[in-house]
Amino acid sequence: MIRKQRNEKSTIETPIMPLARYSCPYCLRVFDSFESIKSHVLTVHAAETLPEPEGTVHITVNGQRYSLQVEPDWTLQYLIHDQLGMTGTKLMCDRGACGSCTVILNGRPVLSCMILAIECNGKEVETVEGIAASGHPLIEQYVKHHCMQCGYCTPGFVVTAKALLDRNPDPTELEIGEALGGNLCRCGTYPQHPKAIREAARILRGA
Amino acid sequence: MKKFVHINARTLDEAVSSLRRYGGRAGIIAGGTDLLGKMKDEILPVYPEALINIKTIAGLDFMKEDAGVLRIGALTRLEDIAGESVVREKYAALAQAAARTASPHIRQMGTIAGNLCQDVRCWYYRNPKNRFPCLRKGGGKCYAIDGDNRYHSIMGGSVEGGCYAVHPSDTAPALIALNARVVTTKRTVGLEDFFQVGVAKTIILDADEIVTEIQIPTPASGAKSAFLKFAIRKSIDFPIVNCASGIQFSKGKVADARICLNAVWVRPYRAVKAEKIILKKKIDQDLAESAGNAAVSEAKPMEHNGYMVPIAKALVKRSILACAQP
Repeated sequence: MIRKQRNEKSTIETPIMPLARYSCPYCLRVFDSFESIKSHVLTVHAAETLPEPEGTVHITVNGQRYSLQVEPDWTLQYLIHDQLGMTGTKLMCDRGACGSCTVILNGRPVLSCMILAIECNGKEVETVEGIAASGHPLIEQYVKHHCMQCGYCTPGFVVTAKALLDRNPDPTELEIGEALGGNLCRCGTYPQHPKAIREAARILRGA
Repeated sequence: MKKFVHINARTLDEAVSSLRRYGGRAGIIAGGTDLLGKMKDEILPVYPEALINIKTIAGLDFMKEDAGVLRIGALTRLEDIAGESVVREKYAALAQAAARTASPHIRQMGTIAGNLCQDVRCWYYRNPKNRFPCLRKGGGKCYAIDGDNRYHSIMGGSVEGGCYAVHPSDTAPALIALNARVVTTKRTVGLEDFFQVGVAKTIILDADEIVTEIQIPTPASGAKSAFLKFAIRKSIDFPIVNCASGIQFSKGKVADARICLNAVWVRPYRAVKAEKIILKKKIDQDLAESAGNAAVSEAKPMEHNGYMVPIAKALVKRSILACAQP
């Protein structure tokens, strides 16, 4: 009885599935043959430009435009440091608690370890490399006032200070302290930063 | 972080329908300062399969004052709120709270709605890789009861023998003192009712609900508000205790008062007894002192957090006195 049933089942014809299926990159319709998708694209989508694949990000870093393919779980810090190779943007706590990974994103000083790279499409990023390349007086003053010991946190401080000077050309010591509140330095170089930033501000104002 | 799908929502409807499609297994990302930390530490009982980005939705980042209501869009950054002159003048407690939240960088990223919707900071709950399967994660016990509970609730657990985590928001008490409402995609609720006393949930939002706006009624002339925060470091820490008071005066006496403590319980703790004491009276040192005593009269501190009771008392007293200053 059982055997017979099995025999019956094996006689059922299975439909022959096409080996290759083609999905249209514009409208996601599925086609069975290359010829049919080709004629579909040429007739329906002839005038359109090809849509970008998921995860494409156009980002401007230090004035240089990049078009990149990113994974959803990449942070902006990973993109800048590991993929683009600008190693000034440091990773320390990876939880948004130390300020080492600070970059300027569309004018705001933000923590790149807590921002997804995929969400930065069309945005402008400035890192410590860009600040140094532009000849900003902060770099020279940081060296002159010796605002570092091990130097790991310094890029984060410089970027935060640059963002402060962009919106406040003459910050008081208190305002500098408040703006740098999210940057940690375990070597304890804190007293030196206001000196360097105030002097850089003086140079920028031309006073 | 584990892999997940990332969706840029262009409208609120799109975001809601994406949430429905994933049925509780998707998360909303705005500032991301709380969510990404949780995902990196893998502390969530259900790891989100998808993140829905609502920063791409236009028209959620605004501050507008019209018809006696200040409307703040859900995506408004804390730094923008702290710096807005209208907020600083009329809604002082909110401006002060926004200015004292986290660090300058996080205020540039974090949104007002995210600050209300953030998860608790209990160090047993937040321990990486789910080392403590606590009540919030469907486990059997609250590890703070027998463990180190120096930053836990002084007003009791959330339910019987329940979670002793505290709500860490700075803006929540300020907004409650200002009698704010929260507008979501489904309803409008008073902010006090927005927080849920439940083991697994910090807020009342359903799985397919998004906060869109905060509304604050413009205080009457002669009303004052103040926010005070006690934390270990001035610059970045979560509060040990914070307190906001919003007091309306008429002829030198208190006509209406709203006092709210936070970080002392699983939801913001409205000090109703303190409000009753100062009502219809002229504020002075002694009255503020007795209001402070009344605010903590129901406190039942645990083994290590008794020190928070005098802090809460002092903050209630000082915030009332700050409102009484001309």
